[in-house]
Amino acid sequence: MDLFLQTLVNGILIGGILICLTIGFQLTFGVLHVIDFAVGGWAMLGGYTAYWLVTLAGIDPFISIFLVFALFLLIGRGLGPLIYRVRTSRYARPDLMALAFTFGIFLFMRGGALWLWSYNSRSVESVLSGQFLSLGPVTIPLMRLSAFLMALLFSLGLFILLYRSRFGMAVRALAQNRDHAGLMGVDVKRVSAWVYGIYTGLTASAGVLIATIYSVNPTVGIRYTLFAFFVAVLAGLGSVGGVLVAGLALGLLEAYVATYIGARYSLLIVFGTLYLALLVAPKGVLGRGI
Amino acid sequence: MSHKFSRRKFLRNSLLGTGAMTLGFPALNVNAQEHRIRCGVVTSLSGANRFGGNLTRRGYDLWAEEINKLGGIEIAGKRYPVEMFYGDAQSRPASGADAAERLIIQDKVDVLFGPYTSGVTLAVQPISQKYRVPMISGSAESPNVWLAKPAFNFGMIPAVDLTTDKSMVVLADTLGDRAKTAAVIGVDEPFSKETAEGFRKGVEESGLDLLSYELFPAESDLSAIVSKLKSSNPDIVAVGGHESVFINFVNTAKALNYKPKALIMHYGVTSAAFINETGSGSNGILGVSVWTAGLPYKDELFGTASDYSDLSFSRWGTRPDYTEAACSASGLVLQDAARRLGKAPPWDQGTRAELAKAIEDTDIETFYGPVGFAKEGSHYHNNTRPVPVVIQIKNGDVVPVAPEKAAKGELVYPIPGTS
Repeated sequence: MDLFLQTLVNGILIGGILICLTIGFQLTFGVLHVIDFAVGGWAMLGGYTAYWLVTLAGIDPFISIFLVFALFLLIGRGLGPLIYRVRTSRYARPDLMALAFTFGIFLFMRGGALWLWSYNSRSVESVLSGQFLSLGPVTIPLMRLSAFLMALLFSLGLFILLYRSRFGMAVRALAQNRDHAGLMGVDVKRVSAWVYGIYTGLTASAGVLIATIYSVNPTVGIRYTLFAFFVAVLAGLGSVGGVLVAGLALGLLEAYVATYIGARYSLLIVFGTLYLALLVAPKGVLGRGI
Repeated sequence: MSHKFSRRKFLRNSLLGTGAMTLGFPALNVNAQEHRIRCGVVTSLSGANRFGGNLTRRGYDLWAEEINKLGGIEIAGKRYPVEMFYGDAQSRPASGADAAERLIIQDKVDVLFGPYTSGVTLAVQPISQKYRVPMISGSAESPNVWLAKPAFNFGMIPAVDLTTDKSMVVLADTLGDRAKTAAVIGVDEPFSKETAEGFRKGVEESGLDLLSYELFPAESDLSAIVSKLKSSNPDIVAVGGHESVFINFVNTAKALNYKPKALIMHYGVTSAAFINETGSGSNGILGVSVWTAGLPYKDELFGTASDYSDLSFSRWGTRPDYTEAACSASGLVLQDAARRLGKAPPWDQGTRAELAKAIEDTDIETFYGPVGFAKEGSHYHNNTRPVPVVIQIKNGDVVPVAPEKAAKGELVYPIPGTS
């Protein structure tokens, strides 16, 4: 029973990390209709940036999250018009072009990171690293708990931005119909660029949390891209709300399979289950849309 | 006197001249350097494994510099300097094979020094065999390299299944009655799996009770595995993996309030990066090393293991690890075999085959330890003689703790603060 309860906590907290990683990815798909293959790359760069801020400037990871968010918000904002241009180009399949373009960005990031940091793994120490709460037989790592809470905070922040601001109204209008939104006076290009900036900021911030919980090295990007992609598919591509449910579901499933069947089979069973779930609910757990 | 310009004649003479130069210069070049032993190094000088690749290069180069200070390798009373040629494997097996072929065909090397990773070594050894060029591999640790029974490749570091196997036996002997149970986990990829298999074999050989053995994908979240270990609480936990998995394991265990009584890993725990990234979490962790500067080994060229460490430090600015040491010792193997062969370079195919036979018969003591290659079995041409040293990290320092003759400090068991 103790192990069962511990697994429950482990699963929920893994879910938190997956939610952190995927929530911005969903937003950018919902608005730009771009499946961004660079998602894991942004997370990796966020982790390394936090490592620099912590080791070179002595800034605590919890403060560095906000700095990383601001930095990557600007980087993403700068890159956004380019993504938008590719996505709205006159190619026969601009969606595939955009996918290939982001994959190119990902490869560039990976190559650059290998050149800069070789294969070395880095992790970031925080005041909460190694701290835990004991609730009877169950141990709750504070760093993972904070990642979970951060995921909820990100979700709440996004909810407020989307449903309680003029910018959010423009984002939702754009998600529904780009042309009509443009005709109604929405600056489509500018809003899209900011959405891409918010996504890169959120994903890089998730990378900071990942670096404090696990470690980061130039090759981890592909792993996080896969996780983000699968959570997004289960959530329903573009559904920000669905990410909460899908992230938790995948986290719990992975934790219970790893504990009671074997970690070796966890990804096999998790992804097998994902395919079955999509047969039943092809639009994801909460359907599509923002 | 007038000379009529003939285009045909000009073209013919140009072709003949160019042909003569193309054919003649390499021949002149080879003849001019006939008195040197041409050594090719295939390793990862760029790409993901460039850090380790450059460690191998340092090891090989240090030997070349030292032997050249004496005038080169002594063969039949005369000394022949060595000349090093480099081929960049770019951390990719196919590129390594290409680089080896270039070294053999274009640079006409007499002998090869092997790559950093086992994957590249597996790609290069058929090339060395095809051209009958002996290769001495100072780094490859996968048993698969030796299972392929390479006729021309010889490995200095005992395969990882042997080192982890022996280290577990050494550890269990040192702990005596204090440890009775063990659990082994490892990443489900070739090197890590072989490491874990070796640990499991060692647990069985040493009479410990194996509570669990589990392999997991590298991308797994380790909280489930740590929770299970915490629940069964074995005396020794052994982990097969690479540096990033070690860091994740230590961080996850720390976050879940679990500290095994003894935690043993393999190569990677001695690196400065691991100790930096895990901070105080590295304290008490055990690891396996094939060589340390404190071992009582010596030879004529490098002196003692400690002398070698000092020499390497003064040359490169960092203390050598066992990979660098094994690479330098590869040169000692070559000079011993060449001396016994007694034939002056350059060596043709037949002589190189004789050199390979001489390397196979190696039986020497070096600063790195005893060297002798298995002539049969699953570790064919692998140097199986070195006894691994169990090291323990104490306040950031790597301290040999077992076996007794290599120990420089007491084995701390259980680690303070153990669950």
